[in-house]
Amino acid sequence: MIVIVSDDSKGDYGPALAEAVSQTETQLVHFSANALTVMPCVACGSCSGKTYGRCITQDDMQQVLPKIAGCRALVLVSPVVFGGVSYHIKKIMDRMAAVGDPRYRISEGELVKGMSGQGMNYYMLGIGDELSATERAAFLSLHEENRKIMSAQGQAFILSGRSGQASINKIAQEIVYG
Amino acid sequence: MDKSEIMLLCASPRRKGTSTMLLERIQAVTGSEVVFLPQKDSLHELVLVMQQAATIVISGPCYINTYPARLIELLEAAALAGGFSGQKLYGIINGGMPYIHTHQHGLTCLQLFAEQNHLSWQGGFVLGCGAMLDGKPLEKHMNRKTVVPAFDQFIRHIAAGTPSPSCLYEQAQSPPGKIMTQVFAKLLTFLVEKSIKKHGHDPKAANWYLREQE
Repeated sequence: MIVIVSDDSKGDYGPALAEAVSQTETQLVHFSANALTVMPCVACGSCSGKTYGRCITQDDMQQVLPKIAGCRALVLVSPVVFGGVSYHIKKIMDRMAAVGDPRYRISEGELVKGMSGQGMNYYMLGIGDELSATERAAFLSLHEENRKIMSAQGQAFILSGRSGQASINKIAQEIVYG
Repeated sequence: MDKSEIMLLCASPRRKGTSTMLLERIQAVTGSEVVFLPQKDSLHELVLVMQQAATIVISGPCYINTYPARLIELLEAAALAGGFSGQKLYGIINGGMPYIHTHQHGLTCLQLFAEQNHLSWQGGFVLGCGAMLDGKPLEKHMNRKTVVPAFDQFIRHIAAGTPSPSCLYEQAQSPPGKIMTQVFAKLLTFLVEKSIKKHGHDPKAANWYLREQE
């Protein structure tokens, strides 16, 4: 299953990507993060202790976490905000700790962690017009650091507001078959 | 807040953690008040305080390689409100991993916020292994001999209103070597598994959400 979580408050790239992925007959779940009620992570530590693997905050994230836990690819679609993602998407990212593996491992000589399950591919799609080189580099580095810490594969893409459906279709192909 | 004052903003949901401890260390020098980022309700009042401060120091934990969502929400709200005119901005980010690159994005995020909204970016401080402190004094940090003087120099930059170079925190922290990395991985995993078992769970079991679906 592929899970797409998008902030659609400033554009419809998330639904467009979901539509392109669905054309490949891949099992897909799409959430619009800006339409969900998701509270910020309060670092209570329960998901790595008392309720290991389960977040105790009862909100719409309880619909998202089961899908992420078993997915083969997670795709976050967001406007590029200060070289990162919007707060709608960041709330989802922060709460994903519940489906992470809290144990440590070593990759390329450094400590990393991982995700529960069989491992997943992790993609980010950033949308922004006239982004500076610093913004682009920051967005790509955020994905790279996320990918490392999750011990995941995958890549980041950046599109401008003028990008057409062909660009979306290409990214969908990469996510499904890449 | 008077326009000449320094605003110390804690971006952590935990009020007694490492982010707060670092701000209290600054507070001891500048006498400024520590303001906590509310985890619920409107951020309008806090944006007004930011607009009125001469200097803003933001200290927060690193969640998934950058600051927590609620701070991003505040920055988005502040950018929407506007009204900034040269306020000096410093940032501090602390995280569990001992590598600066793991947490660096937080400072880049603040720098971009400053550049896009007429604030004056003055630099920041990345603190690795910060989570282990859990609010305890900086003198308990595993690299205390280099980290304490570097952070105190960072405070002097804030007090003087001068830019703080990244080499301050880069030179104060070096990543653990190969053997220490292996020791850390085994020790930290042992402690994590011990905690999970203490709560009656199997650390090697499939995730709770996956088991619920079976």
